[in-house]
Amino acid sequence: MIDVHEFISLLEKEFDDLSPGTLTPNTNYRDIPNWSSMHALIIIAFADAHFNVELTATELKNTQTIQDLYNVIQSKMNQ
Amino acid sequence: MLESLRQKKILITGASSGIGRNTAVLLSNYCSHLYLSARREVELQNTLSLMKKAHHQIITADLTQKSAIEKLIQTIENIDGWVHCTGKVLPVPIKFIQQKHYDDVFATNYLSALYTTSALLKHQKINPSSSIVFISSLSTLHTYFGGALYISSKSALEAFAKTLALELAPKKIRVNVLQPALVKTEIYESTVNAAVNEEEMKKHERQYPLGIGEPADIANMTAFLLSDAAKWLTGTFIKMDGGLTLGFQ
Repeated sequence: MIDVHEFISLLEKEFDDLSPGTLTPNTNYRDIPNWSSMHALIIIAFADAHFNVELTATELKNTQTIQDLYNVIQSKMNQ
Repeated sequence: MLESLRQKKILITGASSGIGRNTAVLLSNYCSHLYLSARREVELQNTLSLMKKAHHQIITADLTQKSAIEKLIQTIENIDGWVHCTGKVLPVPIKFIQQKHYDDVFATNYLSALYTTSALLKHQKINPSSSIVFISSLSTLHTYFGGALYISSKSALEAFAKTLALELAPKKIRVNVLQPALVKTEIYESTVNAAVNEEEMKKHERQYPLGIGEPADIANMTAFLLSDAAKWLTGTFIKMDGGLTLGFQ
C-alpha cells in the first residue's frame, strides 16, 4: 500500500475540481467545497480502480477524515 | 378489473425483494399459481410468507447463468404472464468504468431478460394472449451522475422489449415496460440512505410533486398490465415518477 501522502495525491487528481495540496490526512473530506453524493461515488470508484477494494456505502459513512479513508482501504486490502 | 388474473399462471423473476416482492404479494390476492424466482432462497421464502396461500412455487435461480435459466424453464408449466424485476444498481462514474462492472450490470439487467425470453419462447412456455412486463427505470429519460452503466443496460432492455412486442404481437402476447423513478425499496434504504446525507436526500425528495414512490405503486400498474383490461396495450413505456419530470416547482 502506498503511503497516505501518495494516496492523497492520487485522490486529488480524481476530484477534477481540487487543486493539489488541498487535502491533508486530517481533512474531513465532507468539508470539501460543494461536497455531494457525486464525490462519495468518486471515492468508492477510486478505491475499486486503484486498490481493488469494494467500499460499501456504510463503510464510507463511518469514515470522516482522509486518514480514516486510507485506513479502511488499507485494512480491506489486507483481508 | 383484475378478476381476469384468477386463472392465470404468472412468473415473477426478481421476486426476493422490493418491486418483485410487492408484486408477488399483490398478485397472490388474485392468482392461485405464481412462480417466484430469484437468487436468494431465504428471501424468496420471506416473500412467500407474506403472500396469500395457494399453489405458489419457488425456483431459486441466478438468471445470469444459462444453466439456471434452463432449470427454470424445465420447472415451470406454461405461463400466461411474466414480470421481470431482476435488476442491479451499480453507480460508477464513467471514467472509472471497468469491464467487470459492465459484465455484472449488463448480465443482470439486460442479458437475464434476453436469454430468459429466448428460452421461454424456444420451449413454447408462453401461452397466446399472455402479458410480459419489464421493469426498467425513469433514468433512461432522466439520467443521473454515475448511472451510465445502469441506464445503458435499462435502455438496452427497453429497445429489446419494443422488438419483442413486435415479434409476439401475432400471438397476441403483449410486452410493456414500466419506468419507475425513485421507489422506497430495500435498495433505496440501504444504498441511497447510506451514501447520501439526509439533507441531500430530502432535497431530492422535494422534487417529486407527489412524493417518492412505493413498491405497491409499481405492483398495482403491473397487475393492470398483466390483466385482460390492458389487452390493447403493447410496446408501451409507462413513466411512473410522481410528477418529477413535469418541470420546476
